[in-house]
Amino acid sequence: MCGIGVRLTSILPESLQVRVVAMGDRMREPIVIENLSKYYNRFLALDNLSLSVMANENVGLLGPNGAGKSTTLKILCGLLRPSSGTAYIDGIDVVEKPEQALSRIGVIVETPEFYSFLTPEETLSYLGRLRGMRGDGLRSRIKEVIRLVGLEEWAAAKIEKFSRGMKQRLGLAQAVLHDPPILILDEPALGLDPRGVVEFREIIEGVGKEKTVFFASHQLIEVAQICNKVALIDGGRLLAYDDIAQLETKYQSLERAYLELTGGAI
Amino acid sequence: MSEFERLRIVAGYEFLKHLRRKRLYWILGVVIVAELAVLIGLPAALGGYPDDVMRTAAMLSIGPSLATLGAVFFAGDAIAGEFERKTGYILFTNPVSRSTIVMGKFLACYAAVVLLTILGYVIVCIALLAIYGQVPIETAGSFGLCLLFAGSVLAVTFFFSSVSKGAMGATVITLVFIMVISGVLEGILAMADLPSWFLLSTAGDSIATVYGGYEAFMPGDTAYRIPEAPDIALCILSMAVYLVVGFLLSLWITKRRQLA
Repeated sequence: MCGIGVRLTSILPESLQVRVVAMGDRMREPIVIENLSKYYNRFLALDNLSLSVMANENVGLLGPNGAGKSTTLKILCGLLRPSSGTAYIDGIDVVEKPEQALSRIGVIVETPEFYSFLTPEETLSYLGRLRGMRGDGLRSRIKEVIRLVGLEEWAAAKIEKFSRGMKQRLGLAQAVLHDPPILILDEPALGLDPRGVVEFREIIEGVGKEKTVFFASHQLIEVAQICNKVALIDGGRLLAYDDIAQLETKYQSLERAYLELTGGAI
Repeated sequence: MSEFERLRIVAGYEFLKHLRRKRLYWILGVVIVAELAVLIGLPAALGGYPDDVMRTAAMLSIGPSLATLGAVFFAGDAIAGEFERKTGYILFTNPVSRSTIVMGKFLACYAAVVLLTILGYVIVCIALLAIYGQVPIETAGSFGLCLLFAGSVLAVTFFFSSVSKGAMGATVITLVFIMVISGVLEGILAMADLPSWFLLSTAGDSIATVYGGYEAFMPGDTAYRIPEAPDIALCILSMAVYLVVGFLLSLWITKRRQLA
């Protein structure tokens, strides 16, 4: 892609050269969403959404129910196809090359469900091996992430016995297992008890320091603690995309920004 | 990491799933009960085993045939289950192509059915050796046809699983397709004296008719007209088409299917 960019800039007029180079720079950002639209039959879930997440940024995706948060994340994870527009992970088109794009990310979508006949250790071994991990390295990493999410006592128990919160913990373990540079998390603390929510937030805050995190949530406190930026969407459109500090200055608080921009819906 | 390596991993864990599920053992139980019913029922009804080993061998092929139909219970949830139970949120967000996932699942299901089929034919061989002191060479042909039938049943089930919202729906639709729709059409075509080798149920009959046509199931002095057994080559062609078309369609549909 960079090679093409160099060749193109050499033959284009100067004004267009600037635009091509700027596009090339944007493609290098970990997450780029360009003019993304998604229809479910006639319902427009995403309306020309564009935003990009820079390296090591933790961005919260906020919005009321049906705003398009999950749809956005599912397109990034290759679970849904956009009706129009494009999305890139580390410069890789998620529609054209989903497998390559997925190799760069760790994902939790909604409350994850796992094969009930496997144990957490077996599940993580399966997913790790699919991502090319193996041997002692994989075994020690599995122990590490199981310890990280606090499932040591349940590591060898069948998942069929697990509560929603335990599955959520295992979901986080599989998301960080391969130490991806980008984390895409959709309501990761859903179903956890208050202690679990706090623990979970601290874990994501910890691992997120060295990663790019794109994080959908309803919980403003959670987003404020983990993220430095928020993208506020409603009706599939981007209403605001700014630093939390900037939004708090402009609207007095993140809560007020949310309420004003989404027309009072929470 | 090659796609072949990923295929091996998916198939391995899917096979583990079948080994840990009760349905494998239920189907094995059904196969054993069917074989026992033939071995006990035949002498009870006829006053002894038929003189012709082929007739007993044809009757005993019911067990392995049931094992192949058990494929429907393995494969019904193979694809639909990922969407229905949302386990696809975990599996499909890994850097593995959906084609590899479907192929891995197919191979695992097929391995489980082959395992049951082999056990079924082991019972057939032991029983025939014990009763007649011989195993007809046609048993090898029956075994091969049974494996092909299992593949075609699996492919049809994978197709219905790829288009169905739920695993139960996929299983029921497949059973209705093979046993009811195909069966009824087979009966109508037989009444009209028309060929029905292109129906999956007729093609599956070849597992037993390889021993000498439908006569093996009829009393020697029957007043009824015995229908002509379908041509084995045409049955093989028919099953191969169901296998290839069903599998390719399930691959194509699963690749396009979205998980909302």
